[in-house]
Amino acid sequence: MITFKDIQIKFGDFHAIKNLNLNIKEGEFFTFLGPSGCGKTTILRSLVGFIQPTDGQIFLKDKDITNVSIEKREIGMVFQSYALFPTLDVYENIAFGLKVKKTPKADIDRMVKEIAGKVDLNDEQLAKKVSELSGGQQQRVAIARALVLKPSILALDEPLSNLDAKLRVQLRNELKDLQKKFGITTIYVTHDQEEALTLSDRIAVFNKGVIEQVGTPREIYNESKTEFVCNFIGDINLIAPAIIENSDLKNYVDPHKKSYIRNEKVNLSPVAQREDTVRLKGKIIDQEFYGLYTKYTVEVIGGGLLKTLETESGSAQPAVGDEIDVYINATDILQY
Amino acid sequence: MKKKFMLLTLTLVLAMMVAACGNKSGNGGNPAGSNAESEGGQAVKNEKLIVYTNANSDGRGEWLVEKAKAAGFEIEIVGAGGADLTNRLIAEKNNPVADVVYGLNNMLYEKLKKENVLAKYVPAWASDVEEGLNDPDGYYHGLIKQAILLGYNPDSIAADQAPKDWTDLWNNPEFHGKYEAPALLGQITPQLVVAGILTRHIDENGELGISQQGWDEVKKMYDNGVPMVEGEDPYANLASGKTPLVTIVSGTLKSKTEQYGVEAGTVAPEVGVPMIVEHAAIINGTKKQETAERFVEWLGTAEVQGEFVAQFNAMPANMKAVEKANDEVKNLYSALKAQQFDWGFLSDNIEQWVEKIELEIKK
Amino acid sequence: MFAMKNKGRLPLRPTAMIMYGLIAWFVIAFLIYPNLNIYYEIFFSGGKFSFEAIEKLLRSERAMKSLSNSFLLACSLVVTVNIVGIFLVLVVEYFKVKGAKLLRLGYFTTLIYSGVVLVSGYKLIYGETGFMTKVMSAIFPSFDATWFHGYWAVLFVMTFACTSNHVLFLSNAIRKVDYQTVEAARNMGASTFYILWRVVIPVLKPTIYALTILVFLTGLAATSAPLILGGTEFQTITPMILTFSKSVTSRNLAALLALILGIATLILLSIMIRFERKGNFMSVSKVKSDLVKQQIHSKLGNIIVHAIAYFLFLIYVIPVILIVLFSFTDAQSIYSGTLSLSSFSLDNYIRVFSSLSAFKPYLVSICYGAAASVTVVAIALMASRILHKYRNIWSTMLEYALLIPWILPSTLIAIGLIVTFGVPRWIVGNSVLVGSVWMLFLAYVIVHIPFTLRMVKASFFSIDSNLEDAARNLGAKPFYTFRRVLLPIILPSTLAVLALNFNGMLADYDVTVFLYHPLFEPLGIVVKNSTDPQALGDAKALTLVYTVILMIMSGLTLYFVYGRRSKN
Repeated sequence: MITFKDIQIKFGDFHAIKNLNLNIKEGEFFTFLGPSGCGKTTILRSLVGFIQPTDGQIFLKDKDITNVSIEKREIGMVFQSYALFPTLDVYENIAFGLKVKKTPKADIDRMVKEIAGKVDLNDEQLAKKVSELSGGQQQRVAIARALVLKPSILALDEPLSNLDAKLRVQLRNELKDLQKKFGITTIYVTHDQEEALTLSDRIAVFNKGVIEQVGTPREIYNESKTEFVCNFIGDINLIAPAIIENSDLKNYVDPHKKSYIRNEKVNLSPVAQREDTVRLKGKIIDQEFYGLYTKYTVEVIGGGLLKTLETESGSAQPAVGDEIDVYINATDILQY
Repeated sequence: MKKKFMLLTLTLVLAMMVAACGNKSGNGGNPAGSNAESEGGQAVKNEKLIVYTNANSDGRGEWLVEKAKAAGFEIEIVGAGGADLTNRLIAEKNNPVADVVYGLNNMLYEKLKKENVLAKYVPAWASDVEEGLNDPDGYYHGLIKQAILLGYNPDSIAADQAPKDWTDLWNNPEFHGKYEAPALLGQITPQLVVAGILTRHIDENGELGISQQGWDEVKKMYDNGVPMVEGEDPYANLASGKTPLVTIVSGTLKSKTEQYGVEAGTVAPEVGVPMIVEHAAIINGTKKQETAERFVEWLGTAEVQGEFVAQFNAMPANMKAVEKANDEVKNLYSALKAQQFDWGFLSDNIEQWVEKIELEIKK
Repeated sequence: MFAMKNKGRLPLRPTAMIMYGLIAWFVIAFLIYPNLNIYYEIFFSGGKFSFEAIEKLLRSERAMKSLSNSFLLACSLVVTVNIVGIFLVLVVEYFKVKGAKLLRLGYFTTLIYSGVVLVSGYKLIYGETGFMTKVMSAIFPSFDATWFHGYWAVLFVMTFACTSNHVLFLSNAIRKVDYQTVEAARNMGASTFYILWRVVIPVLKPTIYALTILVFLTGLAATSAPLILGGTEFQTITPMILTFSKSVTSRNLAALLALILGIATLILLSIMIRFERKGNFMSVSKVKSDLVKQQIHSKLGNIIVHAIAYFLFLIYVIPVILIVLFSFTDAQSIYSGTLSLSSFSLDNYIRVFSSLSAFKPYLVSICYGAAASVTVVAIALMASRILHKYRNIWSTMLEYALLIPWILPSTLIAIGLIVTFGVPRWIVGNSVLVGSVWMLFLAYVIVHIPFTLRMVKASFFSIDSNLEDAARNLGAKPFYTFRRVLLPIILPSTLAVLALNFNGMLADYDVTVFLYHPLFEPLGIVVKNSTDPQALGDAKALTLVYTVILMIMSGLTLYFVYGRRSKN
């Protein structure tokens, strides 16, 4: 559906995107994930047409759109600030693109009402000024405004940032529902790994202008291809070299590489013990209670710190100061 | 609704703009003289004349338009201050709008003459004008005489205590702080007051043609006087007693007296007073030369000037019209002597004098 | 994420090409050419440069004193006008003050009259025969009736006369303060005045910087107040520049003095631009809440604020009331400062409107004002758009070229136009513009460009750039985007600028007198001619009558473009 071929983008001396190649499939919810300044917004804006690549081509349904002007690309976009027009009311905001296309008035009315219904905006809200809407309603207006033009692609640039945590979760779900309802190819830019994991069909992780890894959320999480990806996604332990040297782990891993293990893969009880399970001795020095689970910080004897997550099981829980055993499966260790 | 209103306003404004421009371009730079139709079968060209003057205020302009109309002339009067009008005529010399200019004084006409703005034309009535007032080169000719007077409030200063000459103002400590110093040198009248002092001390070797003594006099004048203030009527200060000694232009004397209820006394110095003469001239490059000539011929006649001076309390330059002037005016002028000026010299130097005074003398 | 945008490769549309071409032509033909030409003619006429003018000025004690007075006044005004202006805006927009609507009307009065008449209005109160002076003399028999002159008098009058822009533009800015930030600060225990100082004022800084430049310029160019109230001890430089610029011999001095003021202005301007860059306070919140007026909790503080607010209200309103009252009387009443029923009559008004031809100047001035102010705004909009879109050497040059009129007094601009276009020039199609109706129009446009650009640009740059992107993303072409999205957002402040310009042109004299077409006499000329102290009529009373008429016209203009909106 969308193909980026050998894309380079430079701003003066700054190399924002370095030789990017990427395919996005039809109907996919695809996320560009990365820290700020990594080039994810830049590549999205080049797709929408605000930025002209310095080199390379962008294809949409096999058509080269690299030099097609913004207004002819038919890609709907939702901005970080929503960019709703403050002088127009909600209805006029949604109808804006249709009016530009000189759609007959009756059709505009029908289409606006239809899309408004789908994103749960009632007639009363349509007559309001955009400044009178809540953040969630504003987002729905922004999405409706983009979708009413029936674009083949919907591009969202960090639409949930700057919102409070609860609203963010709620809107995330709404967004997912809407995408399913419309079945539209969606490209989503975010720096929030949780958002990326929950929403996406596939994720591209960006760092310093290059893609580190493309894959499903599971692949990205469990089989992080680079140290950057594994560090950026989820909570992870960097296993101190001393721990490896002073344990059986040295038989399984390359001591010259850095070793990582995800918090939840560090266990305090020998669940599903396998051939490669290594036992370490340690002492609990801190705990954080999260309700669903508790996070323990363990000081491994003769080594460093390891963090672990334990779900509440109802049985007696270890406490700070307890000396305990820690179990790790060597195959769960990621090495870079 | 609100937006529609704004749009409407904007459209209206734009429409007005277009209309205004259309109007302008329609008239072009020079309003077309469509009144070329002959009157009473005569094949006389009678185009509408544009007349510049600084002497149209207080009904004088309207009066002239009426009279001219009766005599078969269609004129449009453009009024402005003398200095501004002169600058304007010089600016417009490559694309003249005016056909005739009257009312300016010798100094300004000299400037215009030097800038090649005036056309040479000697009207028939030139010979009736008092000796020595007309331009010897024949570019401008006199209409009305105005004296620049030193006036005093008789309630504050008794007639026998009054100064005998301008110079008394600063040489007699009695008058210090009681007279108005001619500080607004952008205007013509204060310039002439200064010229009246400086030209008493002409010295070829002095700075700007004036001896050091002359400059000292002027310095004393500014040091001991109260500077004129923009927007104030000097006569009002005379009437209120704030500065009982001020400069008065003779033509305004009567109406100011009525306005403020105080009749100022006037001083008649032995050396004379600056006497300015309002002249008439034709603009070089006018496309209506013939009509302009006929108009100037008509304007300066004893008949027209006589009627004018009777109406407006003025003193004519045309000797045949003097008898029509009001008695009080005639009495005033009989006591006054005109100070002798070399107008060309004045016109050449006045700007530099003003500059020196502004920079070095005024406080 | 990146401020830089890379749109340069998109092909230029023909309409855009025409627009850029027009702007370039206008700038070169009317901003650069005549203004450089006047300097060239002045300093290099005869083919050699002379230092004579500099020597003359350095020798002149009076010129140096006046120059330093001008700077003293400009700097003092920056302080006093900001204090008073900010206070006014806080009273009207921020604090809960009883009768704020009425107070606001009072504070708005400086928008409808200015210059000589404003100063004369103050003189009616504080002058020798003024009301205040009489009261003081009654209380203290030895009170000096001529007390109201010199530095303090000029500063006093100008401080109150120059708050117009604060009242207009700072009010707009304070309404955009996010109320949540105020609530947050209060939640953290900040006091009313601490919040004001640390939360609200910082947000207003960009506007305050812009206004400070304007105040400084006004102070440097002060004419009427020092002329009328300065006395011999406090004269400023602009009256001298005006006098000199009218005389051919002394024009070099005028140009040199103007250059000094211009350079000072440029220095301040660049300092302010640096300040602006340092602290760009953009609101970051997505959901803003409207400002709610603040109650002053300290009882004493509340009383003091109310007292000062109403005291200022009186200072603002009394001159206007007196001007209106005295316009029905005669010269004698005005000079003696006495109002008696018997001297009231409609005569003055009847005289002003006695003939039909009396209406023509109004029409001429309205046409010129409307045409020129619309054109100025149009140029400023186009230029702002270019400045917003591109950041390169050409746009920087454009910005500075458009600011040229700020470094020249308006009279010299007028003279530059005359000197330059008094002969055929190819850049204007080989026509002689002097003596045509276009001269005045051009001058009005040129003189008002810097202020307009400054204001329009500021509002342009405060627009979220995503809005434009969003519109284009929805399929709108640049012009459509401009018309439907950007223009409506900046329209309120643009219209305010338009109204201010229009009012300024209505009664202008200094520029007009050089350039007006004699057959289309504007109001300023008619007013000046009939109110000249040398004129025979009741000049003083007529001045007041014209002032009242102009106040009504200006008031109506403001009401139509501004007052109606601010009510919603």
